[in-house]
Order: sequence, then structure tokens, then C-alpha cells
Amino acid sequence: MSTAFNKRLMVVWLLLSAMTAAYFWLDHSADHNGMLRPSTVVTVSAIAIALIKVRIIFREFMEVRHAPALLCRLTDAWVVLIAVCLIGSYFVGLSIAN
Amino acid sequence: MTTRAGADAPLHGLDKVATKAQATKFIPGQPDMWAFVLFETLIFTSYFVVYLLFRTQHREPYLQAQADLDLRVGIFNTIALLLSSWAVARCVQAARNGAYRSALTNAFLTILFGFVFFVSKVLEWVKEIRMGNGFTTNEFFQHYFFLTSIHCLHLLIGFIVMGVVVYQLWHPKRRSQELVETGATYWHTVDFLWVLIFALLYVVR
Repeated sequence: MSTAFNKRLMVVWLLLSAMTAAYFWLDHSADHNGMLRPSTVVTVSAIAIALIKVRIIFREFMEVRHAPALLCRLTDAWVVLIAVCLIGSYFVGLSIAN
Repeated sequence: MTTRAGADAPLHGLDKVATKAQATKFIPGQPDMWAFVLFETLIFTSYFVVYLLFRTQHREPYLQAQADLDLRVGIFNTIALLLSSWAVARCVQAARNGAYRSALTNAFLTILFGFVFFVSKVLEWVKEIRMGNGFTTNEFFQHYFFLTSIHCLHLLIGFIVMGVVVYQLWHPKRRSQELVETGATYWHTVDFLWVLIFALLYVVR
């Protein structure tokens, strides 16, 4: 049983690392000849990938998937709250700037 | 804790299935730590909001300053912390299965990967300061130094937490699964806060 668990943890770590490596591609997709350019798609994607990673860390590493429903819902609500705050402040900031 | 202790009780049929399903539901570590984790996340999120609001007002200067950060260092930092998080998760499971030697090894690995992160972060600070990017150079680096240093402070507290975990695991009379889980919950928080900081400082455009 413990071996199965440890395999699962390894798969989770590989997934999180692969998602981290995806930032390489995301980063290069926004740049032009080494110059950084503004991009809403890259910003929202970067935040979305980070939040998916946070949820995976909650569920798998922090064992929330074995926790009572209250903690599951609370952590999910927190991920949604962070998403609304980050993406919301980005778009609100853009609209004020314009 | 009591629900986990009752998981091995001899039961039959549907009762066994139902009780097993209930028995596997538990809050990892002390609930107080979860309250702290959620509160701390709110504090960091409010700072992220301030950062993004300021950033969107002056996109070009932020992008020019951000170009001095090396994404590869950020990715290395993230992988190092993810390794430490993986190790502490293995530590929790090993301790739960009574494999305390393995639990201790994984606790030390957690500290080691955390230390790798710390050293690479300090080296990055030194590099940026040498490049002329200090705390007061521009708004981007003000946010960068503030967020990374506050996060590093949490990491240093994490070393103390892991020290307590190692101390508890060392002697059979001191072993407490709840304490190991509480320490791990704190360490994972340091990890996922960095996941957010990394995306916001190194990748966001």
C-alpha cells in the first residue's frame, strides 16, 4: 500500500515539475528577439497554471483528498478566491490604466 | 486521530466499507495550522493584488526590469521546493506506516532541498544587486525583493519547523503523527506560495 502511495506522490511531483517546465515555452511565446512584450494570454495562462499546481499540492501533497468535505471545499474555495483576486486585479488594473 | 486508530477494527460487509470510507477522512495535522495556512494565503494574495494593480499601470517599465530576471533560476527554485515538498509528503506517509528511519531520511531531504532553494535565492539576490537592481531601483524590484524576502522568512521558519519534526521523530517516546503532519502542512504552504510568487514575478506579462 505504501509503495502505491509513493508512486502516486512521484507521479504528482513529475506532473508539477512538467507544469513548471511549461513556463519555458510560455515565456518564449510572449517574447520577440529577447524583448519582453505585454501579453494578457501569457499572464492569465501563467496564473491559471500556478493555481492548478496549488490545487494539486493541496489535494495530493497536503492530503486534502482524504480530508473531510469541509476542508476540501474550503481549500477549493480558496483557490477560486485567489483566481478571482489575481485575474480580477489584472483586468481592473488594465481598465484603470486605459 | 481517533478515526484513523479505528481503521483496523474487524468488521464485515457493508459496515466495513462504510467505516473504512469514514475512517480515511481526517484532517492532516492540527486544524489550527490549517487556519494559519488559509490566513497566510490571504495576506499574500492581498499583496499580489497590490502588485498586479501597480504593474498594470506601468507595463513597459515593469517588463524592462523583469527582463533582468533569469527564468531558469526561477524554474530551478521551483523544482527544488517541489522536491522538498515531495520529500516531506513521503516523510508523513513513512511515519504513518511506522517506517521512522525512512521518515527521518525524508525529513532531512526536505531540509536539504529547502537549503538548495535558499542558497540559490541568495545568489540570485547578489547577482541582481551587482547588476544594479536594488530594493529602491524601481517598482518591479521593490516588489521582487519584498515578496522573495518575506517568502524566504517563511522558509527559514520552515527550517525550525522541520527541526522540530526531526527532533520528534528521533526518539520513540516523542513520536507524534499529528505533529509530523502539522509540520508538513506548513512546509507545503511555503512551497505553494512560491509557486504563485514565481508565476507572478518571472512569467506574468
